[in-house]
Amino acid sequence: MTQINATVPSDAELIARTLGGDGGAFGILVDRFQRKIYRVAFAIVRNDVEADTITQDTFIQAYTHLAKFQGRSEFETWLTRIAINRSRDSLRRRRFVSLFRSDEDGEPEGWIEPVDDRPDPEREIMARQLRTAIERAERKLSTQQKLIFRLRHYEDRSLEEIAVLLGLRSGTVRAHLFRAIHKIRQELAEWVTAREEPSNETL
Amino acid sequence: MKHFSEADLLETYYMQPSEATPIIAHVNDCNECQERYRRLSQKLRDIAACPSEKPATFWTRQRLMIMRAVDNAREQSGRTVRTARVAAAALLAFLLGGAVVYKSVEPALKTPAVIVAPAPQVASNDDLKVPSDPWQSDELKDFGSVVQWESWVEASSPTGSSL
Repeated sequence: MTQINATVPSDAELIARTLGGDGGAFGILVDRFQRKIYRVAFAIVRNDVEADTITQDTFIQAYTHLAKFQGRSEFETWLTRIAINRSRDSLRRRRFVSLFRSDEDGEPEGWIEPVDDRPDPEREIMARQLRTAIERAERKLSTQQKLIFRLRHYEDRSLEEIAVLLGLRSGTVRAHLFRAIHKIRQELAEWVTAREEPSNETL
Repeated sequence: MKHFSEADLLETYYMQPSEATPIIAHVNDCNECQERYRRLSQKLRDIAACPSEKPATFWTRQRLMIMRAVDNAREQSGRTVRTARVAAAALLAFLLGGAVVYKSVEPALKTPAVIVAPAPQVASNDDLKVPSDPWQSDELKDFGSVVQWESWVEASSPTGSSL
Protein backbone atom coordinates (compact mmCIF):
# COMPACT_ATOMS: atom_id res chain seq x y z
CA MET A 1 0.00 0.00 0.00
CA THR A 2 2.80 2.32 0.93
CA GLN A 3 4.58 1.40 -2.26
CA ILE A 4 1.55 2.35 -4.34
CA ASN A 5 1.24 5.69 -2.54
CA ALA A 6 4.91 6.35 -3.08
CA THR A 7 4.57 5.87 -6.84
CA VAL A 8 1.52 8.11 -7.17
CA PRO A 9 2.74 11.68 -7.47
CA SER A 10 1.00 14.26 -5.32
CA ASP A 11 -0.83 17.23 -6.80
CA ALA A 12 1.91 19.57 -5.61
CA GLU A 13 4.56 17.48 -7.29
CA LEU A 14 2.64 17.37 -10.55
CA ILE A 15 2.09 21.12 -10.42
CA ALA A 16 5.81 21.69 -9.89
CA ARG A 17 6.61 19.41 -12.80
CA THR A 18 4.07 21.18 -15.00
CA LEU A 19 5.59 24.53 -14.13
CA GLY A 20 8.95 23.05 -15.04
CA GLY A 21 7.65 22.35 -18.55
CA ASP A 22 6.47 18.76 -18.18
CA GLY A 23 3.21 18.66 -20.12
CA GLY A 24 2.62 15.04 -19.22
CA ALA A 25 2.35 15.96 -15.55
CA PHE A 26 -0.56 18.22 -16.30
CA GLY A 27 -2.15 15.37 -18.24
CA ILE A 28 -2.12 13.31 -15.05
CA LEU A 29 -3.84 16.16 -13.20
CA VAL A 30 -6.48 16.35 -15.91
CA ASP A 31 -7.04 12.64 -15.71
CA ARG A 32 -7.31 12.85 -11.94
CA PHE A 33 -9.88 15.63 -11.72
CA GLN A 34 -11.78 15.84 -15.00
CA ARG A 35 -14.70 13.69 -13.79
CA LYS A 36 -15.19 15.69 -10.62
CA ILE A 37 -15.01 19.00 -12.44
CA TYR A 38 -17.41 17.79 -15.08
CA ARG A 39 -19.85 16.67 -12.40
CA VAL A 40 -19.75 20.07 -10.66
CA ALA A 41 -20.23 21.89 -13.95
CA PHE A 42 -23.07 19.61 -14.94
CA ALA A 43 -24.72 20.01 -11.54
CA ILE A 44 -24.84 23.74 -12.09
CA VAL A 45 -25.59 24.14 -15.78
CA ARG A 46 -27.55 20.89 -16.26
CA ASN A 47 -26.40 20.56 -19.82
CA ASP A 48 -24.01 18.01 -21.24
CA VAL A 49 -22.34 20.12 -23.90
CA GLU A 50 -21.93 23.16 -21.68
CA ALA A 51 -20.53 21.06 -18.85
CA ASP A 52 -18.02 19.56 -21.26
CA THR A 53 -16.95 23.00 -22.50
CA ILE A 54 -16.72 24.35 -18.96
CA THR A 55 -14.56 21.41 -17.91
CA GLN A 56 -12.16 22.02 -20.77
CA ASP A 57 -12.05 25.76 -20.13
CA THR A 58 -11.46 25.15 -16.45
CA PHE A 59 -8.34 23.10 -17.09
CA ILE A 60 -7.03 25.48 -19.72
CA GLN A 61 -7.50 28.43 -17.38
CA ALA A 62 -5.89 26.47 -14.57
CA TYR A 63 -2.90 25.71 -16.77
CA THR A 64 -2.39 29.29 -17.90
CA HIS A 65 -2.67 30.57 -14.31
CA LEU A 66 -0.91 27.69 -12.63
CA ALA A 67 1.99 29.88 -11.53
CA LYS A 68 -0.50 31.94 -9.50
CA PHE A 69 -1.68 28.90 -7.56
CA GLN A 70 -0.10 29.38 -4.17
CA GLY A 71 -1.19 26.14 -2.60
CA ARG A 72 -3.17 27.80 0.16
CA SER A 73 -6.09 25.54 -0.72
CA GLU A 74 -6.26 22.13 -2.28
CA PHE A 75 -5.72 22.03 -6.02
CA GLU A 76 -9.10 20.37 -6.36
CA THR A 77 -10.79 23.23 -4.49
CA TRP A 78 -9.03 25.74 -6.70
CA LEU A 79 -10.15 23.90 -9.83
CA THR A 80 -13.70 23.62 -8.50
CA ARG A 81 -13.79 27.36 -7.87
CA ILE A 82 -12.76 28.02 -11.45
CA ALA A 83 -15.41 25.60 -12.70
CA ILE A 84 -18.07 27.21 -10.50
CA ASN A 85 -17.17 30.69 -11.74
CA ARG A 86 -17.35 29.53 -15.34
CA SER A 87 -20.65 27.77 -14.70
CA ARG A 88 -22.03 30.90 -13.06
CA ASP A 89 -20.99 32.92 -16.11
CA SER A 90 -22.77 30.39 -18.25
CA LEU A 91 -25.95 30.66 -16.17
CA ARG A 92 -25.83 34.45 -16.35
CA ARG A 93 -25.30 34.36 -20.09
CA ARG A 94 -28.21 32.01 -20.44
CA ARG A 95 -30.34 34.28 -18.29
CA PHE A 96 -29.35 37.25 -20.43
CA VAL A 97 -30.16 35.37 -23.63
CA SER A 98 -33.50 34.30 -22.19
CA LEU A 99 -34.49 37.97 -21.96
CA PHE A 100 -34.70 37.98 -25.73
CA ARG A 101 -36.49 34.68 -26.02
CA SER A 102 -40.11 33.78 -25.64
CA ASP A 103 -39.66 30.87 -23.25
CA GLU A 104 -39.57 31.38 -19.51
CA ASP A 105 -35.99 30.85 -18.56
CA GLY A 106 -33.96 29.49 -21.38
CA GLU A 107 -33.10 26.48 -19.28
CA PRO A 108 -32.69 23.32 -21.25
CA GLU A 109 -35.67 21.07 -20.82
CA GLY A 110 -33.65 17.90 -21.00
CA TRP A 111 -33.92 16.84 -17.40
CA ILE A 112 -32.14 13.69 -16.56
CA GLU A 113 -34.29 10.81 -15.54
CA PRO A 114 -33.69 9.72 -11.98
CA VAL A 115 -31.67 6.64 -11.43
CA ASP A 116 -34.38 4.29 -10.30
CA ASP A 117 -34.66 0.92 -11.87
CA ARG A 118 -37.27 -0.39 -9.48
CA PRO A 119 -40.62 -0.98 -11.16
CA ASP A 120 -42.66 1.26 -8.92
CA PRO A 121 -44.96 3.44 -11.04
CA GLU A 122 -46.27 5.46 -8.11
CA ARG A 123 -42.81 6.29 -6.93
CA GLU A 124 -41.81 7.19 -10.41
CA ILE A 125 -44.73 9.58 -10.75
CA MET A 126 -43.96 11.16 -7.39
CA ALA A 127 -40.35 11.56 -8.28
CA ARG A 128 -41.29 13.17 -11.57
CA GLN A 129 -43.66 15.56 -9.82
CA LEU A 130 -41.05 16.47 -7.27
CA ARG A 131 -38.56 17.03 -10.03
CA THR A 132 -41.04 19.24 -11.84
CA ALA A 133 -41.62 21.24 -8.68
CA ILE A 134 -37.90 21.74 -8.26
CA GLU A 135 -37.53 22.65 -11.91
CA ARG A 136 -40.29 25.24 -11.69
CA ALA A 137 -38.91 26.67 -8.49
CA GLU A 138 -35.42 26.86 -9.96
CA ARG A 139 -36.67 29.07 -12.75
CA LYS A 140 -37.65 31.65 -10.18
CA LEU A 141 -34.28 31.68 -8.47
CA SER A 142 -31.57 34.23 -8.98
CA THR A 143 -28.29 33.04 -10.43
CA GLN A 144 -26.66 32.97 -7.01
CA GLN A 145 -29.57 31.12 -5.40
CA LYS A 146 -29.64 28.65 -8.25
CA LEU A 147 -25.91 28.10 -7.97
CA ILE A 148 -26.09 27.44 -4.24
CA PHE A 149 -29.16 25.28 -4.48
CA ARG A 150 -27.67 23.16 -7.24
CA LEU A 151 -24.42 22.66 -5.40
CA ARG A 152 -26.42 21.55 -2.40
CA HIS A 153 -28.96 19.47 -4.28
CA TYR A 154 -27.00 17.84 -7.08
CA GLU A 155 -23.53 17.85 -5.63
CA ASP A 156 -24.63 17.21 -2.05
CA ARG A 157 -22.12 19.76 -0.81
CA SER A 158 -22.44 20.93 2.76
CA LEU A 159 -23.25 24.56 3.47
CA GLU A 160 -19.74 25.12 4.76
CA GLU A 161 -18.21 23.65 1.63
CA ILE A 162 -20.37 25.84 -0.57
CA ALA A 163 -19.38 28.88 1.46
CA VAL A 164 -15.70 28.06 0.96
CA LEU A 165 -16.11 27.40 -2.75
CA LEU A 166 -18.01 30.61 -3.36
CA GLY A 167 -15.99 32.73 -0.96
CA LEU A 168 -19.14 33.63 0.97
CA ARG A 169 -20.06 33.56 4.61
CA SER A 170 -21.92 30.52 5.79
CA GLY A 171 -24.86 32.69 6.88
CA THR A 172 -25.17 34.17 3.39
CA VAL A 173 -25.22 30.72 1.83
CA ARG A 174 -27.84 29.63 4.34
CA ALA A 175 -30.01 32.65 3.53
CA HIS A 176 -29.82 32.04 -0.22
CA LEU A 177 -30.59 28.38 0.22
CA PHE A 178 -33.48 29.08 2.54
CA ARG A 179 -34.99 31.38 -0.04
CA ALA A 180 -34.57 28.76 -2.74
CA ILE A 181 -36.21 26.10 -0.60
CA HIS A 182 -39.03 28.45 0.24
CA LYS A 183 -39.81 28.75 -3.46
CA ILE A 184 -39.63 25.01 -3.93
CA ARG A 185 -41.98 24.57 -1.00
CA GLN A 186 -44.45 26.88 -2.67
CA GLU A 187 -44.29 24.77 -5.80
CA LEU A 188 -44.56 21.60 -3.76
CA ALA A 189 -47.58 22.91 -1.91
CA GLU A 190 -49.41 23.06 -5.23
CA TRP A 191 -48.19 19.61 -6.09
CA VAL A 192 -49.29 18.14 -2.73
CA THR A 193 -52.70 19.77 -3.01
CA ALA A 194 -53.12 18.45 -6.52
CA ARG A 195 -52.07 15.00 -5.39
CA GLU A 196 -54.38 14.91 -2.38
CA GLU A 197 -57.47 16.13 -4.20
CA PRO A 198 -58.31 12.85 -5.96
CA SER A 199 -57.93 10.85 -2.74
CA ASN A 200 -60.34 13.19 -0.96
CA GLU A 201 -62.82 12.63 -3.69
CA THR A 202 -62.66 8.89 -3.21
CA LEU A 203 -63.30 9.37 0.46
CA MET B 1 -48.86 14.23 17.74
CA LYS B 2 -48.21 16.63 14.90
CA HIS B 3 -46.51 15.07 11.89
CA PHE B 4 -44.44 16.95 9.39
CA SER B 5 -45.26 17.14 5.72
CA GLU B 6 -42.77 16.45 2.94
CA ALA B 7 -42.53 20.16 2.35
CA ASP B 8 -41.44 20.65 5.97
CA LEU B 9 -39.01 17.81 5.71
CA LEU B 10 -37.58 19.25 2.52
CA GLU B 11 -36.19 22.15 4.48
CA THR B 12 -34.68 19.76 6.97
CA TYR B 13 -33.07 17.79 4.18
CA TYR B 14 -31.36 20.77 2.60
CA MET B 15 -30.67 23.11 5.48
CA GLN B 16 -28.69 20.69 7.65
CA PRO B 17 -30.22 21.75 10.93
CA SER B 18 -28.56 20.69 14.13
CA GLU B 19 -29.73 17.63 15.98
CA ALA B 20 -31.26 19.81 18.67
CA THR B 21 -33.97 21.29 16.45
CA PRO B 22 -37.53 20.17 17.21
CA ILE B 23 -38.13 18.79 13.74
CA ILE B 24 -35.08 16.53 13.87
CA ALA B 25 -35.96 15.46 17.37
CA HIS B 26 -39.45 14.57 16.18
CA VAL B 27 -38.22 12.69 13.13
CA ASN B 28 -35.91 10.67 15.32
CA ASP B 29 -38.79 9.71 17.62
CA CYS B 30 -41.64 9.33 15.15
CA ASN B 31 -41.52 6.25 12.92
CA GLU B 32 -44.00 7.67 10.46
CA CYS B 33 -42.08 10.90 9.91
CA GLN B 34 -38.84 9.00 9.87
CA GLU B 35 -40.11 6.81 7.07
CA ARG B 36 -41.46 9.83 5.20
CA TYR B 37 -38.14 11.58 5.58
CA ARG B 38 -36.30 8.52 4.35
CA ARG B 39 -38.50 8.27 1.27
CA LEU B 40 -38.16 11.98 0.52
CA SER B 41 -34.38 11.84 0.88
CA GLN B 42 -34.26 8.87 -1.47
CA LYS B 43 -36.40 10.68 -4.04
CA LEU B 44 -34.26 13.78 -3.86
CA ARG B 45 -31.11 11.76 -4.23
CA ASP B 46 -32.59 9.97 -7.23
CA ILE B 47 -33.53 13.24 -8.86
CA ALA B 48 -30.12 14.67 -8.18
CA ALA B 49 -28.28 11.70 -9.60
CA CYS B 50 -25.86 13.01 -12.19
CA PRO B 51 -25.10 10.92 -15.25
CA SER B 52 -21.37 11.37 -14.86
CA GLU B 53 -20.92 7.76 -15.91
CA LYS B 54 -19.73 8.49 -19.40
CA PRO B 55 -18.00 6.07 -21.71
CA ALA B 56 -14.24 6.01 -21.53
CA THR B 57 -14.06 7.55 -25.00
CA PHE B 58 -15.79 10.67 -23.67
CA TRP B 59 -13.11 11.26 -21.06
CA THR B 60 -10.31 10.41 -23.48
CA ARG B 61 -11.64 12.84 -26.06
CA GLN B 62 -12.08 15.52 -23.41
CA ARG B 63 -8.57 14.97 -22.11
CA LEU B 64 -7.13 15.15 -25.63
CA MET B 65 -8.98 18.39 -26.29
CA ILE B 66 -7.65 19.87 -23.07
CA MET B 67 -4.09 18.78 -23.74
CA ARG B 68 -4.22 20.11 -27.29
CA ALA B 69 -5.40 23.48 -26.00
CA VAL B 70 -2.73 23.39 -23.30
CA ASP B 71 -0.06 22.65 -25.89
CA ASN B 72 -1.28 25.55 -27.99
CA ALA B 73 -1.23 27.80 -24.94
CA ARG B 74 2.30 26.66 -24.10
CA GLU B 75 3.46 27.17 -27.67
CA GLN B 76 1.88 30.59 -27.80
CA SER B 77 3.39 31.48 -24.47
CA GLY B 78 6.81 30.27 -25.66
CA ARG B 79 6.42 32.28 -28.85
CA THR B 80 5.52 35.35 -26.85
CA VAL B 81 8.54 34.88 -24.61
CA ARG B 82 10.80 34.36 -27.63
CA THR B 83 9.40 37.45 -29.33
CA ALA B 84 9.86 39.46 -26.17
CA ARG B 85 13.46 38.25 -25.85
CA VAL B 86 14.24 39.08 -29.47
CA ALA B 87 12.64 42.49 -29.05
CA ALA B 88 14.63 43.11 -25.88
CA ALA B 89 17.86 42.00 -27.57
CA ALA B 90 17.14 44.23 -30.55
CA LEU B 91 16.45 47.17 -28.29
CA LEU B 92 19.63 46.56 -26.33
CA ALA B 93 21.67 46.27 -29.54
CA PHE B 94 20.12 49.45 -30.83
CA LEU B 95 20.94 51.30 -27.63
CA LEU B 96 24.51 49.98 -27.51
CA GLY B 97 25.08 50.71 -31.18
CA GLY B 98 23.66 54.15 -30.72
CA ALA B 99 25.97 54.75 -27.78
CA VAL B 100 29.02 53.62 -29.76
CA VAL B 101 28.10 55.76 -32.74
CA TYR B 102 27.46 58.69 -30.48
CA LYS B 103 30.81 58.30 -28.79
CA SER B 104 32.57 58.23 -32.15
CA VAL B 105 30.97 61.40 -33.44
CA GLU B 106 30.74 63.11 -30.09
CA PRO B 107 33.73 65.53 -30.65
CA ALA B 108 32.28 66.75 -33.93
CA LEU B 109 29.00 67.27 -32.31
CA LYS B 110 30.50 69.34 -29.58
CA THR B 111 29.32 72.86 -30.12
CA PRO B 112 31.78 75.74 -29.92
CA ALA B 113 31.82 77.74 -26.82
CA VAL B 114 28.96 80.03 -26.77
CA ILE B 115 30.06 83.64 -26.83
CA VAL B 116 27.90 85.48 -24.58
CA ALA B 117 27.70 89.17 -25.13
CA PRO B 118 28.96 90.93 -22.10
CA ALA B 119 26.26 92.35 -20.08
CA PRO B 120 26.21 96.13 -20.03
CA GLN B 121 28.34 97.22 -17.25
CA VAL B 122 26.68 99.10 -14.64
CA ALA B 123 28.76 101.57 -12.95
CA SER B 124 29.21 100.56 -9.46
CA ASN B 125 31.16 101.73 -6.57
CA ASP B 126 33.72 99.00 -7.32
CA ASP B 127 34.85 100.91 -10.42
CA LEU B 128 35.76 103.84 -8.32
CA LYS B 129 37.86 101.81 -6.03
CA VAL B 130 41.56 102.03 -6.37
CA PRO B 131 43.11 98.69 -7.38
CA SER B 132 45.43 97.07 -4.93
CA ASP B 133 48.34 97.45 -7.39
CA PRO B 134 48.29 101.03 -8.54
CA TRP B 135 50.42 100.23 -11.62
CA GLN B 136 47.61 97.99 -12.96
CA SER B 137 45.04 100.71 -12.98
CA ASP B 138 43.65 102.06 -16.24
CA GLU B 139 45.29 105.37 -15.76
CA LEU B 140 48.79 103.89 -15.41
CA LYS B 141 48.68 100.95 -17.83
CA ASP B 142 50.19 103.02 -20.67
CA PHE B 143 53.19 103.49 -18.51
CA GLY B 144 53.77 99.79 -18.25
CA SER B 145 57.17 99.96 -19.89
CA VAL B 146 58.25 102.59 -17.47
CA VAL B 147 56.98 100.52 -14.69
CA GLN B 148 58.88 97.51 -15.95
CA TRP B 149 62.00 99.62 -16.40
CA GLU B 150 61.68 101.05 -12.97
CA SER B 151 61.14 97.61 -11.62
CA TRP B 152 64.16 96.39 -13.52
CA VAL B 153 66.22 99.29 -12.23
CA GLU B 154 65.04 98.65 -8.77
CA ALA B 155 65.55 94.89 -9.01
CA SER B 156 68.93 95.00 -10.78
CA SER B 157 70.57 97.76 -8.73
CA PRO B 158 69.45 97.62 -5.25
CA THR B 159 72.55 99.35 -4.21
CA GLY B 160 71.89 102.24 -6.58
CA SER B 161 68.62 102.95 -4.95
CA SER B 162 70.34 103.00 -1.66
CA LEU B 163 72.60 105.57 -3.11
